[in-house]
Amino acid sequence: MKPRRIIEVGLPRFLAWCLLGFLFVPILVVIPVALTDRDYLSLPQDGVSMQHFAALADWSKGWLPSMLTSAGIALACAAIATALGVAFAVGAWAAGGWWPSLMRILLLSPMIVPPIIYAVGMVKLWARLSLLDSYTGVVLVHVVLALPLTVLAIGASLSNLDQRLVQAARSLGARPMTVFGKVILPNIVPGVAAGALLAFVASWDEITVTLFITGRAVVTLPRRIWTSIQDAVDPALAAIATVLLVVTVLALVARALIEHRQQMRKS
Amino acid sequence: MRNFKTTALLLTVPASLMAIGLYAAPILQVLALSLTEPKFGLANYQGLFANAAVGRVVMTTVKVSVMTTVLTVLASYIVAFAIIHMSAGWRRISLFLVLVPFWISVLVRAFSWITILRRRGVLNSTLMDMGVISTPLDLVYNLFGVTVGMVHYMMPFAILLLYANLSDIDRRIMQAARSLGARPATIFWRVWLPLSLPGIALATLFVFVFSLGFLVTPALLGAGKTLMIAEYISVQISSTSRWDLATSLSTMLLLVVGVIVFAAMRSPALRAAFVARPQQ
Repeated sequence: MKPRRIIEVGLPRFLAWCLLGFLFVPILVVIPVALTDRDYLSLPQDGVSMQHFAALADWSKGWLPSMLTSAGIALACAAIATALGVAFAVGAWAAGGWWPSLMRILLLSPMIVPPIIYAVGMVKLWARLSLLDSYTGVVLVHVVLALPLTVLAIGASLSNLDQRLVQAARSLGARPMTVFGKVILPNIVPGVAAGALLAFVASWDEITVTLFITGRAVVTLPRRIWTSIQDAVDPALAAIATVLLVVTVLALVARALIEHRQQMRKS
Repeated sequence: MRNFKTTALLLTVPASLMAIGLYAAPILQVLALSLTEPKFGLANYQGLFANAAVGRVVMTTVKVSVMTTVLTVLASYIVAFAIIHMSAGWRRISLFLVLVPFWISVLVRAFSWITILRRRGVLNSTLMDMGVISTPLDLVYNLFGVTVGMVHYMMPFAILLLYANLSDIDRRIMQAARSLGARPATIFWRVWLPLSLPGIALATLFVFVFSLGFLVTPALLGAGKTLMIAEYISVQISSTSRWDLATSLSTMLLLVVGVIVFAAMRSPALRAAFVARPQQ
């Protein structure tokens, strides 16, 4: 290669791989730390140990209850957010006009407005309604924060749907609920599934607002992790991080395989 | 016919009520409280501007946000640009390396950085074992640690935004430039860069706005020593109960974010990238 070509093509490419390494490699550090044989955050000294993974399964250590709490809240949030999101997205798509557009902006605004501002407002509101540190309070807040994702996912599905399908169904005498349930809904199933999954993940990961509206009664997994990071001693933290990392990688691989198979089927 | 539209509008009601009652109302109350707590007037805002601690926090926030935005957008552009020039196989691998940090919890990522950067962390012990340094470096719980963590958090977003934007650019334009004798550097500066400006603007906007109000990473990697607005607000509501400060600072933050987004939306390119395509 000519020197000029090395600088113009090789160097940027090399930099890009370094940056990809910067993104990925630091996350892997939790794996050796989770396997440490010491009871403080460190790399394994005299061999590896699974004791910190065992601690995750120990009910009294609090990790397992937090995982169940988070899973329960995330399931409830995903169910409610998906139902509300489908109804809204389909209704807005079919009706059009200023009201759905305005409400769409409001529903999407949690994606831009810093969550700390919302946290300040919700602490005040939940204190007045006695919903601080309650499951209902957390689920409702998570639904508000997940709705932008479900509305966007379902909206993306709807934008591929032909409006004439609806006109055809109506001209053949289908009643409104039949049109929504039997014509539109079956055509947007992928978007609805994506929306539900995004809502689940959003709730499972939510920390900023949850931190302020929960206390001793409702300890979600992110909240448990947050407290534990501030103490910064327990290697069980690295073990839970490793578990989350493995689940994420498996989910991404599974998605890639499914997409690959769909492409194979199409071609 | 009207029946159908009424049903459609009724379907939008539950989510709308939720957004009004549980999102707009609490935030409007924050704005209202900033003017009435403890008594009606603009006293809280006068206090805000006279408060030296608030001034320092705002300066730190702006400094960290600007550094994060510049570094993130630059680094992400390099990565996104390289990815669109890769073969399909390498592109899949690269996108995987971007998507894992994208999906993994922000807490896990902050924790990884603490493990690596703290005084007895992985990096310091490795460097000391190798004899490069004799005393551990202060890499976290300061401006450096916060910025590293923030750039690491923001990069996957920015890369995916820029990647989507760069993929949409018509590659025949570059072929035309090359066939007319332009060198690679010329093609980059005169063709790629101008065509990707909307994507760069969108990524800059997102990263800057996210950085301004970001709580988790600055709080964990700054540990109270590098204090940014969101963490300062959180201290006001959870430990000192200064609702006057919390609500007026929140209002200012909301105003700043609103003005930035509003100003950005005036640019047609950004609006096109942002707003959903109108339905036919």
